Amino acid sequence: MNANLNSEVSKADANADANADANADAIADPIPKKGGIDRRHFLKVSGTASAGMSLGFFLPERAHAADTPQLNVWIEIEPNNTILIRYARAEMGQGSMTSAPMMIAEELEADWKKVRVEYATAHENLRTKRAYGDMASVGSRTIRHSQEYLRKAGATAREMLIVAAAQKWNVPASECKASLSRVTHAPSKRSLTYGQLAVDAAKLEAPKTVQLKDPKNWTLIGKSIPRVDIPEIVLGQRSYGIDTQLPGMLHAAVAACPVFNGKVKSLDASKVENRRGIVKVLNMGEFVAVVADNWWRAKEALREVSVEWDVGEHGTLTSAAIMAHFKAGMEQSELAVARNDGNTVEALSKSAKVVEADYFTPYLAHATMEPMVCTAWLQGDKLEVWSSTQNPEATLAVSAATAGVPQANVKVHPVQLGGGLGRKSPQDFTRQAVMIAKAMSGKPVKMLWSREEEIQHGLYRPASLMRFKGGLNANGKVEALHIRVSAPSILATLLKLPLPRGVDGQAVASFNDHPYDIPNTLVDYAQRNTNVPVGFWRTVGHSQNPFGRECFIDELALAAGKDPVAFRLDMLPNNEKSKRDRSILEAVTKAAGWGSQLPNGVFRGVAETEGYGSWTACVCEVSVNAKNEVKIHRVVIGIDPGYAVNPDNIVAQFQGSVVHGLTAIFWGENTIKEGRVEQSNFHDYRMMRLNEMPKVEVVIAPTGGFWGGVGEPAQAPLAPALVNAISAAMGKRIRSLPLKNHGLTLKVS
Amino acid sequence: MNSQHEVMKLESRVRRTALRSLLLAGFAMPWLFGRVVHAQRMNSGSLLSLNDMVQPIVKGAILLNKDLQIEAPLLADNGSLVPIQIQVQSPMSAQDHVTHIYLLSQRNPVTQMAVFQLGPWNGRAEVSTRVRLAGTQEVVALARLSNGEFRYKQMEIIVTESACVDAS
Repeated sequence: MNANLNSEVSKADANADANADANADAIADPIPKKGGIDRRHFLKVSGTASAGMSLGFFLPERAHAADTPQLNVWIEIEPNNTILIRYARAEMGQGSMTSAPMMIAEELEADWKKVRVEYATAHENLRTKRAYGDMASVGSRTIRHSQEYLRKAGATAREMLIVAAAQKWNVPASECKASLSRVTHAPSKRSLTYGQLAVDAAKLEAPKTVQLKDPKNWTLIGKSIPRVDIPEIVLGQRSYGIDTQLPGMLHAAVAACPVFNGKVKSLDASKVENRRGIVKVLNMGEFVAVVADNWWRAKEALREVSVEWDVGEHGTLTSAAIMAHFKAGMEQSELAVARNDGNTVEALSKSAKVVEADYFTPYLAHATMEPMVCTAWLQGDKLEVWSSTQNPEATLAVSAATAGVPQANVKVHPVQLGGGLGRKSPQDFTRQAVMIAKAMSGKPVKMLWSREEEIQHGLYRPASLMRFKGGLNANGKVEALHIRVSAPSILATLLKLPLPRGVDGQAVASFNDHPYDIPNTLVDYAQRNTNVPVGFWRTVGHSQNPFGRECFIDELALAAGKDPVAFRLDMLPNNEKSKRDRSILEAVTKAAGWGSQLPNGVFRGVAETEGYGSWTACVCEVSVNAKNEVKIHRVVIGIDPGYAVNPDNIVAQFQGSVVHGLTAIFWGENTIKEGRVEQSNFHDYRMMRLNEMPKVEVVIAPTGGFWGGVGEPAQAPLAPALVNAISAAMGKRIRSLPLKNHGLTLKVS
Repeated sequence: MNSQHEVMKLESRVRRTALRSLLLAGFAMPWLFGRVVHAQRMNSGSLLSLNDMVQPIVKGAILLNKDLQIEAPLLADNGSLVPIQIQVQSPMSAQDHVTHIYLLSQRNPVTQMAVFQLGPWNGRAEVSTRVRLAGTQEVVALARLSNGEFRYKQMEIIVTESACVDAS
């Protein structure tokens, strides 16, 4: 690794960069923004930084510095002591644009007040052979998968700054301390700012190994730091993908075949072709696009383009047929085995009491606040893309392949996402936008989906049918548990991955790895794919399977005549495997006052789950009135993420997860009729309203020693805890979602 | 030349390459070595060494890292359809030509992804195809020459992971 860079090279690089980008600006200058990622400002900074310092941890290509005009990967320090930290993932509201740079700043001993965060880009990552590593914001893994290299990057820079100061003062480095962007030599009472040291530090060889701080000495990690994007969001200055504006930009509205995987048979655009503002009507085979001078004209015209679709053989598919398909999966002879402890079938046959139940969760569209949007501009063999993407590298790959240009010719400009929820990681929409840009070559085109398109062409959370059989012995101990899942596979159909032993890990998540001490456990899986495309809906398998698992555990507790919390704790030995399940369950039930007297008619429910490297638990208190209105009195929900990097952001993620989760639990359902999704907009795919939102009490109980995710885990325990409480209140077991299908509504608080 | 010795050297090269890609990725891909608790479920299988990949075919014959070119995208948005093109420098004469081109995967359940039979009638030793890749890995193109020697080239292809899979 060769991370040092002398200022002369920096300067040359910065100039080269400025020239290259100035040329790019001449052809592709977005309308200047008031804030956010402003390229001109970035250039200025790059220029001034030539007098400053660039420290990168991973600069494997530095031997070719002349080809590397970009100063560096993670850290730049300006003479005025401003520290620029790069962020290499997407920001869609999850807050890691703040918490990931906190990792670097912590070890750098940076004064956070003078830290500025800017996006790294996918094209820069490609050019530097992935100096920034993985850029995807998926799987709640930004922090847990990058914390180590980010902290090392910060620590490396810190050590170089300390050595630079020590050399200047001719004192041992061990006598110097770094704190708040300043190196101090206490014995001689001298100190210098990072801005003053940066040039010299950048000339030093990067240390090969660095000592990371002991968590007990952290000054930034663990503090509630306001998100860096808050000011721009509050002032309406944040630039989302949907806000992209380019000179001479055209707008496209699209419609794919209402029956999935159908094709355009013929189209007649004569009614709209000569309308004001309509530029072109495109038959793209898989979809139709109207390109116009503004989006509304494009969208309105699209309604009047007469399209005959070839719906193939799937035009008669219904939800009932899909359910029959899943039920047949329950009876099929060959099943993939995900877990097989002991001899479950035999143990069940010998059980004193056997409890059986089927649970069902429906297809769900994501309904991100910002529908799919991507702007693409193909000029010759150069392509620029502004896509609301959770994975800029995938965007780059898809864009290059679709346009037929080399990957090195593609620029993916980072934009904030108006929500992602897992829908914006697959790149179907980017592909469409680039296809349109190719057809309109030379002009920038912004393609935006309508809400209807978004709900009717989702990559849905798979519907899933789950069958549980539990065997209790005479003392009420669970001896055997058999869980069978009949559901589509996301990995096999969307990603076309080979499934190890035929098991899709997401379809059986929280079953194959349940923490309970049950000697005989069998989990098997019938892969039942349909023509309805499935994808990653925030929390994925953990958004639905824990509903079945933790509700069924309550059914077993009821059959055993035991308190649901005591019943669970009895099955969670205090060993390494289960200790965190146990500790989060104890922390949350204690915060909720489990066991204390409740007012008449109010009932509690509990659930405990694990996923994305974290442990979660939830207690809900509800009452249900004679009109079947559910009043949620309390939601107490907690997490053990190992380390709580930014506690206020965890609270925000949990509150957001409860909004998202309750929406799905009460109303979320996509049904299929004549091969198409019946719902189309918020009138029939209802979102939760502000006055329906209960107060959320978040318990953050980090036990340290590991790094868990935060963006997704909260949804896992919410549905079962809530439904357990509702079932207790009604004296009737609810085994399918959404609750509206049971006549239940959420009472306005 | 001692071909076994050559392969040993190559293998250490692969190790170095793997190590380097680990560094490049900034430790973002600990699953590359498949030994971390948070194993990524997106990737199936474990990574083979170069030796494991090629020796069932090469069987100790002379193997050199030269004369091949692989053209493929560095990034693939998913592994289900990755275009790949192989060129071998060869006169393709009756005396001196490429007889086979093998495409080998470091991670797929089936290592030998494709075999192409060629002869002087082809004129050029060039093939293009599409392969499925079960995750980020080194892909090896291996050419068998009419004199019984082998040539190879390797390339890392990154399969981006657009998936909220729970990696715990």
